[in-house]
Amino acid sequence: MRTRTALSSTAAGIAAALTLAACSTGAPTSSGSSGDAGGGSNDNKTIAFVQGVAGDQFYITMQCGIEAKAKELGYTVTTQGPQKFDPTLQKPIVDSVTASKPAVLLVAPTDVQAMQAPLDQAAKAGIKVVLVDTTVNDPAFAVSQISSDNVGGGKAAFDAIKQAKPDGGKVLVISTDPGVSTVDARVNGFEEAAKGDSAFQYLGVQYSNNDPAKAANLVSAALQKDPDIVGIFATNLFSAEGSATGVRQAGAKGITIVGFDAGPNQVKALEDGTVQALVAQQPGVIGEDGVEQANAALTGGSVEKKIQTGFTIITKDNLDGEGGQAVYKSSC
Amino acid sequence: MSVLFEARGLSRRFGRVQALDGADFDIDEGEVVALIGDNGAGKSTLVKALTGNLAVDSGELRFQGEPVSFATPQEASRLGIEVVHQDLALAPHLDSAQNMYLGREIMRPGLLGKLGFMDNTTMREATAKAFTELGSAVRSVVVPVGAMSGGQKQSVAIARAVAWANKVLFLDEPTAALGVVQTRNVLDSIKRVRDQGIAVVLISHSMPHVLEVADRVQVLRLGRRVATFEAEGTSVETLVGAMTGALELNQEGAA
Amino acid sequence: MSTATDDTRTEDRPSGTIETSAGHTSIVERVQAVQSAWILGVLVVIIAVFGLMAPSTFLTVGNATNIAQNVSIWAVLAVGVTFVIITSGIDLSIGSVLVVSSVVAAQVMERMGDQGWGTAAVGLVLSVLVGIFWGCFNGFMVAKANVPPLIVTLGTLSIALGIAQILTGGVDVRSAPTVLQDNIGYGRLAGIPVISIIALVIVVLGGILLHKTRFGRYTYAIGSNETSARRVGINVDRKLLQIYGFTGFLAGIAGLLSLAQYGTTTIAGQSLTNLNVIAAVVIGGTSIFGGTGTMFGSMVGLFIPAVLQAGFVIIGVSPYWQTVAVGSILIAAVYVDQHRRANEARGK
Repeated sequence: MRTRTALSSTAAGIAAALTLAACSTGAPTSSGSSGDAGGGSNDNKTIAFVQGVAGDQFYITMQCGIEAKAKELGYTVTTQGPQKFDPTLQKPIVDSVTASKPAVLLVAPTDVQAMQAPLDQAAKAGIKVVLVDTTVNDPAFAVSQISSDNVGGGKAAFDAIKQAKPDGGKVLVISTDPGVSTVDARVNGFEEAAKGDSAFQYLGVQYSNNDPAKAANLVSAALQKDPDIVGIFATNLFSAEGSATGVRQAGAKGITIVGFDAGPNQVKALEDGTVQALVAQQPGVIGEDGVEQANAALTGGSVEKKIQTGFTIITKDNLDGEGGQAVYKSSC
Repeated sequence: MSVLFEARGLSRRFGRVQALDGADFDIDEGEVVALIGDNGAGKSTLVKALTGNLAVDSGELRFQGEPVSFATPQEASRLGIEVVHQDLALAPHLDSAQNMYLGREIMRPGLLGKLGFMDNTTMREATAKAFTELGSAVRSVVVPVGAMSGGQKQSVAIARAVAWANKVLFLDEPTAALGVVQTRNVLDSIKRVRDQGIAVVLISHSMPHVLEVADRVQVLRLGRRVATFEAEGTSVETLVGAMTGALELNQEGAA
Repeated sequence: MSTATDDTRTEDRPSGTIETSAGHTSIVERVQAVQSAWILGVLVVIIAVFGLMAPSTFLTVGNATNIAQNVSIWAVLAVGVTFVIITSGIDLSIGSVLVVSSVVAAQVMERMGDQGWGTAAVGLVLSVLVGIFWGCFNGFMVAKANVPPLIVTLGTLSIALGIAQILTGGVDVRSAPTVLQDNIGYGRLAGIPVISIIALVIVVLGGILLHKTRFGRYTYAIGSNETSARRVGINVDRKLLQIYGFTGFLAGIAGLLSLAQYGTTTIAGQSLTNLNVIAAVVIGGTSIFGGTGTMFGSMVGLFIPAVLQAGFVIIGVSPYWQTVAVGSILIAAVYVDQHRRANEARGK
């Protein structure tokens, strides 16, 4: 008897919580179906943007591009992002966005596999899904994918090192996490180019887990082992910031660090001479293109399934001109 | 009356301190013995030695005439010897019934019991019954012990010890932190425990209380028993004199 | 303060002078005494507010099932963490143990190649064994080696994750048997996500274990007063070993569920899982000082951040505010707990 009451009270409590979370009003199905219809209709002019991680200047710049283009075309934008670049944190956000039924979902998936099903579901709910920056295993559901030509970006990074160190030597890559499609492509592009040049010795890739402190530790450790490293390619924002710190910690000089991306801190590092070149993506353009493609899909225009955007190489020399334009923003 | 539990020549040294120095102790069946002594006389050490909480360097214990030794408090428990420590050792978040049966829960019969399900109803009712028998001031067995007054906590601890002590119950300073009414309840409880045929060893600083409930008073000084008095007809002054050594003693061994 | 105590209060009224029920306290007092009730009120208010702000999108079956699905894995972990925190311990390693369990299971299942239930069963067994191993290691270090649980589990957090990275070279294993993904990860039974049903069953069983069995009673006793638990003859060391082992076991199950839900081992993920689960358990009224807590409270504590996040996303509030809100609720919950404790210490 007592067991039963305990069981039923616990179960009833949890069921109550589930039910409360579920549907306190009596008309879930009707609101659901009307939402579905709204998702596809033209009077819904909402765009949801889900970042790979909140607070990253790359995604903020993209957000700026999205907001500018959305304003021009008459859309409203809400932006969300997980605290970390982590699919277990991003999935609930995407699920909730799907429940809020925007017309368009621009999303930077944090994992090619884990985000597949949630985004499938969003597309099935009638939302036009555009993949920006990163992608998933089977992006067939997406109206368009827009990203930098990351293999090309990796090559560009190698070229920047080669320009500074024409005699060759050891080169190292500090990457974020394995399994992020764009970053893997950058690494591959760099590796291909480095191995294709006999003057250079490719030391491989280390993963910083998107943590500047870890990147700094990896770089100082690598310099302990190979003090004659001539160039480091840091594949993203945090890795570059950490690599610069690591080089400084180790007291090394004359190493060419090429960063990918161009946040204010990297630009400062560039100005200080800690980083010698930056391969800047064009996140604003990615965002603008994303909105344009989504708009085309909604209005029945022609949609490009895949768009690759280019790069700007920023050095101290062009910082006042073309390079400066390409720097990422901390706010719009 | 026969001697139920006795100790002869217990000694224990902590570094340079001789906490017990050939201490003797004895208690008869159904008797209340008070153990008194000044601070540092060795009362608590003696209680620990008698209840399996402390190993001695030398000396022997006899229970119902048989030599015994306790490596753990559980071994003493098995012979029906329980202690209520000064800190009571209650779990404050658990209610009195849960504390009462902690470590010795009554399980449900059959398969449910084997799966670890407890018979809370039986335990609560038995706890309530035990409180009634002790005349306890505890009015509910389902209130967490932490929310109770000092006297109520004391009576829970006593009730728990009595429930398992069918031979000897040691009470270490049970009235030290209590008010007048609460102290009265504890003293009444001691008498009721004695009436159930359980021998009670009371450690206390309060001479009037000692003289009220005890049949005999054993005085410890400097780690040994220096005197034993029949409570009847002994005055507080005599006891204090024995404790401090001001009184010339010749009663040792009279018991 | 446990629901077990609570429901028997209204039920048991045998005759006699001493109450075996708490009829003399008012209902209001009793409700105030139960933090999970207080926190349930907070959850209801949150739901009501979002419901008013976005009735057509927030109060939908779809949103509700999403939330239920997204808390399921955390719920399984929270069952174990509730036990651990009631003993006044902590387990920071659950996220890493989850990952390493799913890595071992995924690698073996991938090698088996088959996509059927047999493979999935092998995966479950392996995942659970790995989880139990890490849990018992935590328990051993806490109970026998007397290393504080914060330090032990901080260590295993790194070690388990590192081993997952060594086993995989840091590259997620992106294969789980299709039966797992189709039936468990994204399957539905009567419209309810299967993963949530599994979690609910585990939570209910965990609740019974905590509130109705001797094992649960000893869990409270250890957290309430470890010395007294030892004095009455409870084998505290063995209990702690079992409790941490049980938490590892649940992390192993969660590892397989994660594999089913995400189709990948999320090595780089689960980074905040431990803190989110611990926060939920504490919000739900389990005291980090041990001795009190309920399974029901932990579940309410899980839903509060989840519902808040879903609501904020739906009404379009900046993600930064979400973390502010959850952090504030955590502190408020512990403040209320302390306040209540202080009142109790004063003898009500």
